[in-house]
Amino acid sequence: MRILIVEDDSVIADGLTRSLRGADYAVDCVNSGAEADHVLAAQPYDLVILDIGLPGLDGLEVLRRLRRRGAAVPVLMLTARDSLTDRVKGLDIGADDYMVKPFDLRELEARVRALIRRGQSGGASALTHGSLVVDTAGRRATLAGETLELSARELGVLEVLMMRSGRVVNKEQLAEQLYGWDEEVGPNAIEVYVHRLRRKLEPAGVSIRTIRGLGYLLEKDPNG
Amino acid sequence: MPRRQKTLRRQVLGWLFWPLLALWSVSSVIDYDIANRFVNLAYDRVLLESALDIGRQVKVLQDRIYVDLPEVAVQMLQSRESGRLYYLVTGPKHEYITGEPDLPPPPDPFSERVNYYDEQYQGRPVRIVTLRLPLETGKTESMVMVQVAENRAARNEFARQILFRMVLPQALLIITAGLMLWYAVGRGLAPLGALRREIESRSHRDLSALPLEQTPQEVRPLISAMNELLARLSLALAAEQRFIADAAHQLRTPIAGLKTQTELALRQAPAGEAHATLTQLHSATQQATRLVNQLLSLARAEPETGRVHTVEPLDLVQLAREATAEWVPRAIEGNVDLGFDTDTETAVVTGDPFLLREMLNNLLDNAVRYTQSGGQVTVRVSREAGKPRLSVEDNGPGIPEAERDRVFERFYRVLGTGADGCGLGLAIVTEIAQSHGATVKLTPAPTGTGTIVSVVFPAWVGHPVSAAR
Repeated sequence: MRILIVEDDSVIADGLTRSLRGADYAVDCVNSGAEADHVLAAQPYDLVILDIGLPGLDGLEVLRRLRRRGAAVPVLMLTARDSLTDRVKGLDIGADDYMVKPFDLRELEARVRALIRRGQSGGASALTHGSLVVDTAGRRATLAGETLELSARELGVLEVLMMRSGRVVNKEQLAEQLYGWDEEVGPNAIEVYVHRLRRKLEPAGVSIRTIRGLGYLLEKDPNG
Repeated sequence: MPRRQKTLRRQVLGWLFWPLLALWSVSSVIDYDIANRFVNLAYDRVLLESALDIGRQVKVLQDRIYVDLPEVAVQMLQSRESGRLYYLVTGPKHEYITGEPDLPPPPDPFSERVNYYDEQYQGRPVRIVTLRLPLETGKTESMVMVQVAENRAARNEFARQILFRMVLPQALLIITAGLMLWYAVGRGLAPLGALRREIESRSHRDLSALPLEQTPQEVRPLISAMNELLARLSLALAAEQRFIADAAHQLRTPIAGLKTQTELALRQAPAGEAHATLTQLHSATQQATRLVNQLLSLARAEPETGRVHTVEPLDLVQLAREATAEWVPRAIEGNVDLGFDTDTETAVVTGDPFLLREMLNNLLDNAVRYTQSGGQVTVRVSREAGKPRLSVEDNGPGIPEAERDRVFERFYRVLGTGADGCGLGLAIVTEIAQSHGATVKLTPAPTGTGTIVSVVFPAWVGHPVSAAR
């Protein structure tokens, strides 16, 4: 895995480089937009971490040229600005994710992992959460290799929760997922499916939290 | 005693009233003099007629002077409408002939043929005419003197009436002029009143120029000068806000470097002194991060004057639900039960979604941060007298009553909370709420400890929207 860091602040660049090398990535680091543009044109990378505020050729321009060349490499933007227009601009040009300085190193590493995975699989069909794996294409779930007996609707609910693991999923989103198979699914039915799922998943230490007035949350995978 | 305030109206009225009053007084004195003079002229003539009538009756018979006054004439003299007449006739050697012997003598007995003077008689002021008549005996030095006196009361009354009829219209004129001036000044100043209301109804951020069209010519230079000042103030404020925003942006990069390196070092350092130091360093970095972010927030919430925020109708329920959902992972990390509650389908407010989100983030940040592990935080959207109300309730330690107003101040922190806030959260909340015409209230939670921060928005007056953003 090869990562390019484009960052003009040497302290941040050094921290990122050492942190990512520690996670066994091959890391290159450049400190100007022009240099980045040059390197990106010459060499393929699995991920680019790109600072927007670069001297000379700025990050947005580097990204624009990168996408114009047709490169699909995932780009994580770093910015000291966080106004809505700045974010939207970056994402519009073709950034895959952005983080506002000062960022949390652990969170940055998690996003790097996610972006690389996405870049490799091109939208993976398997969702994993600890020992729980859901094959969205094959429509089956396994827990530590053992097939889990789940109804189609339970599987549907689990898929949504896993796709948004660690975040709140409301009942409407769950109902939407189940809608279209047959008749409309009411909030009470959702509660029933979640209840059944809990019973089946709890022995494996996977817990679905109820968030008052908001919906459900699949607790973060401690290893993920 | 409080000094009376100088008002333009009172001053103008003063300038009109006091000189007019002085003029009026002088004119009244002159009027009184004129009235007296004409009244005396008229009454004196009648008095003289009476004296002449009596004089015509003075007869000489065998060197004896007598007055042949018929009883009827005497009665007429004594019972006139305008007051009784007294008379006295004396001979050439001042000997008494007839009438009232005690009538006061003239001050200068040998002057004119006809002489008028004022005297006191029987304790009352009287007017007396003295008439000298040559005797028919032919001796030139023999003169009789006829004196007729009349009470002044009647003529004084007449003079008073004349004066009254002259002075009253003048007084009415002055009062009318005063009232008209009072009204005119009020009318003239009405545009200033409108201007005052315009300034009063402004938000403290609105530094746009005041309207000049309706103001009178005399006031325009003042308004222009104020507009100039407003423009300069607005430039200065904008520069200051830009500076804060720039400074915060500039600070972000070094803090990011510090944070990254500290986090990296924390991983590598073995447990011990160095690790403890790094932990402290990391927590200081976190605080600096938060401070810089909130400073930026605040700079954004106070827009540069003239910059207009995006304002659109949006659903508070949806906005609050989304913002709360985003905070759930952090609440779980701190073992705080964060939930959402509403008793209304939608609650439409007009505003800037980005700023309102920022406001809610600050409220949630405060609530989650200051609530102890195992505590509960509830975001609620409801209606208060038809107005959309957003509240965040926690069962944390609560805020002592004495400090409830102070927590809205910038950089103020409640002592002894132990959390690493920087005291800008509620200042940002207030700033954003005010820019949306909303009011922020801080009340103790009804159950035991804890705090409710509520933001009440103005009622939405437009057409209902099904969903916003």
